[in-house]
Amino acid sequence: MEPPHNSVVRTPLNSVIVQRRSKSKSYRQSYRSCLGAASRLGLTPALTARRLNTSRRAPKSHNISEKVNPEHLALLLKTEWKLSYVSPLYKFRHTQLKSYSRQLSAFIAAEKQQGLAVEVEGLQSGFRVTLSVVQGLTETDDDAETVLIQIHANPLFARQDEPQRSVWSGWLTCINGNTDYLHSLPKDFTCLPLCGCSGSEYLSGLVKSWFQQTFDCCFGPLEINHTSLQWLVALWTNCHMESSLQHLKMSWTLPVVPPLQVTYTVNPQDAWELWCSVRAGRQEEDEEEEEGGSIDIKEVMRLMQGLKGHFFRHFRLDLSAGSLRQVTTALGSAKCNGRIKISNSRYMITTLTLLTECALLKMPI
Amino acid sequence: MEDSTRRVLQRLIRRIPTPQLKTTLEKWSGMTVAQRGSMDYTQTKWALTEKLLSLCEENDWTTKHITELEMIYVIDNPNQGMWHGFQLLDPEDDAHSVELTQFKEQFKSHLGELVRHVSVKIKKHTDEAVWIRIAWGDSFSRPNHLKPTYVVHHLQTPYVFVTGLTSKQKPLLSQALVLSTRHHTIKDANLSGRKLTAIRDLLMKQYQQVFPTNFPSPLAEKNETVSNPKIEREQAGPGAHRHQMACEAFGDGMLPQLQSAVYKLETKFKDHTNRTMTERDEPFKCIVKFESTNLLESLRYCAASGIASTPVTPLLSSIPLKGRNYFVITDNGPGPSSQMHQSQN
Amino acid sequence: MSSLKPFSKLPGLNTANILLVESEEQFQQSLADALVEETSVTVNVRLAKSLPLPLENEESRPRIDLVVFIINLTSELSFQSADASLKYLDPGYFLGKVCFLVTNARNASVPTERLDTVRKLAASLHCPLLFAEDQTPDGVTNATERLLTILKVAAGLVPLATALYLSNLTQCTVPLDIDQPSFD
Repeated sequence: MEPPHNSVVRTPLNSVIVQRRSKSKSYRQSYRSCLGAASRLGLTPALTARRLNTSRRAPKSHNISEKVNPEHLALLLKTEWKLSYVSPLYKFRHTQLKSYSRQLSAFIAAEKQQGLAVEVEGLQSGFRVTLSVVQGLTETDDDAETVLIQIHANPLFARQDEPQRSVWSGWLTCINGNTDYLHSLPKDFTCLPLCGCSGSEYLSGLVKSWFQQTFDCCFGPLEINHTSLQWLVALWTNCHMESSLQHLKMSWTLPVVPPLQVTYTVNPQDAWELWCSVRAGRQEEDEEEEEGGSIDIKEVMRLMQGLKGHFFRHFRLDLSAGSLRQVTTALGSAKCNGRIKISNSRYMITTLTLLTECALLKMPI
Repeated sequence: MEDSTRRVLQRLIRRIPTPQLKTTLEKWSGMTVAQRGSMDYTQTKWALTEKLLSLCEENDWTTKHITELEMIYVIDNPNQGMWHGFQLLDPEDDAHSVELTQFKEQFKSHLGELVRHVSVKIKKHTDEAVWIRIAWGDSFSRPNHLKPTYVVHHLQTPYVFVTGLTSKQKPLLSQALVLSTRHHTIKDANLSGRKLTAIRDLLMKQYQQVFPTNFPSPLAEKNETVSNPKIEREQAGPGAHRHQMACEAFGDGMLPQLQSAVYKLETKFKDHTNRTMTERDEPFKCIVKFESTNLLESLRYCAASGIASTPVTPLLSSIPLKGRNYFVITDNGPGPSSQMHQSQN
Repeated sequence: MSSLKPFSKLPGLNTANILLVESEEQFQQSLADALVEETSVTVNVRLAKSLPLPLENEESRPRIDLVVFIINLTSELSFQSADASLKYLDPGYFLGKVCFLVTNARNASVPTERLDTVRKLAASLHCPLLFAEDQTPDGVTNATERLLTILKVAAGLVPLATALYLSNLTQCTVPLDIDQPSFD
């Protein structure tokens, strides 16, 4: 039998690695010890507890522009965010944001200075950090209020009176978080599982490490997997009647040498009609249910199958062999590496609900 | 020295990467041997530019000298910018007898008649290609040397390759080309790419083509010899066949480096599981773009590995066959036939 | 339609024959190269893209002791192809002579549902499910070792062990909570 360290071969870094959740160690070890070698034969126990929802409510347009501060909303909409998941924050208080702002500024200033041999006068005052609550960006009472973090700095060669420029921004949110999970958390924990950052990697790293130190949490990259991207295709297409898609653009990468990228842009009206046709069968089935109440994963799959089928009929090339990397519409764009842009405030809640769910799947149990 | 000449020189030096600067300057007749020797290429780009600007002053270079230098650089490094292929049609009887001096004269005079201010420079490259640099002006302004159009034409062939052409200049250039090459019309070949060599090779079929044959291909035999006797491929036959079909469609060996192909599809949606969409009258509109560092090699791999089924669909094999990478696909009118018509636009 | 049968031919002396089925034909080659290096028994490897196997090889093909379906989780097609091939196997193979080998299971773009489907398939057929890393030499070595262990038993080369007995211990089981929708 090979030594145990040899039995785990890590995937090379060129492909992104999923961080696996695990139950308590003792439980796992006892399970392992009774099965011995068998656990290496696909019997990975207790790692499979939760899955993405297989059906979700159809996106309703939420007029959040009335509830949310327009300045905040504009920032949330104009930027492309790099997503991360965050484990629950210990002893985080929405009432202490002012003090957190000061602490984070000081932390960044201290970290910045570490690399310098001589203290440069006035450098520590270069960064101004603001943490604020985005009022109104929640769905249920269990959701913690969204927190927005903004970092401003003096431009490099600035005159005295020049205003500070925003150099980094980010937010932590929880929209429609699973109530069972939120209720199961011990007191003193605040769950804001979804984090978006925009700005230099260096500052992202600093902000994250400050949160980790202060609230005993951990951050990890949140990729948007194949299924979630397909969900977004369907959810966004479903909005077309109320707010035009302009185009439905999907990018696949096929694993050939050299790699082939296929961009498939569908006329919005045609995409909508295809979506209606795959939805039609369902509405006859359960008429009594409220109209367009929920979308099932099967309908999403049928939509994708229809699109892929049309492609195959022309090019005799099966897109299933590759993977969906990116979805773009006028309502937003999402990439598999966890970058998202939400361009329309009305459907922000729907998109964030899906992403919150993805982030919660990464939470330690 | 004029200010505009300085600007053109500055812009040009900025464009040329330092490693290429030396070879380019050495081919140029604008500098004396001593001046060439005095250049120190380890210096920064900025210092080199300053040095050349002072030489420019000293030697009294005109825009003509600088454009000469630019042409040397562009001819040596043609794979920049987007190149578009054009095809000359309906040659006149004497089209094949057009030779360089005649073409030069004719082209310059025809274009000069069409545009008041235009600066044309024509150079013959070693590989028989005629390189034309056009700096356009209009009736009020002098030729703009910062945004020239480059045209490459191989005499006695119907192909012309163009980069940096605006839609306003296109009819003017077309007319001048048609007249001076003794043809009747010119049309867009619907082929474009970043590599001039690639689109030229594709249009002129200068790559290793494979033709259908009934004899076992040497490819299959090559694969047999390398493998271990203990390892046997059950489907070696079909695999070799797929490979052969892929090569017949796209060619063998190194293929011209085309980066993309675009299909505009306006065809009926047909899916036996979806009656609503199949019965719909309007076509399903979409645009499909294939991209790769070498599109033809990627597609060949798709077909050889079975991701794309063989025989390769005419839509994909038309790229090398017709030398196009832009297609508009519409149905051939109503009816049960699934024949696709590729409209010639 | 001809199906592959486990006992239609006589075994060779100290010989084990393995069939690797992979629609992408990527990993199977490196696995095969490593498998034939085995010295204690003679290992013959047959490679296929999918089943059924061509009739014309029927004569030359030795008795296949173990059929391995390699599934690349990043590709939907890979699973579909393996699934479609299964029906060309004689039911006798499912008594311990089939196993599934999954690659790229840790890739982030892979939806967890896809692994669930493979897991359910393996469990329903009482077959073991192995995970392998196909991009590093270490991963290939590991996968080879695991396959050889099963292969030797399946070929009857391990005294006192049978394929059926081993598969009872190693077959994939589906966690009880796999279908439990967690949200809503």
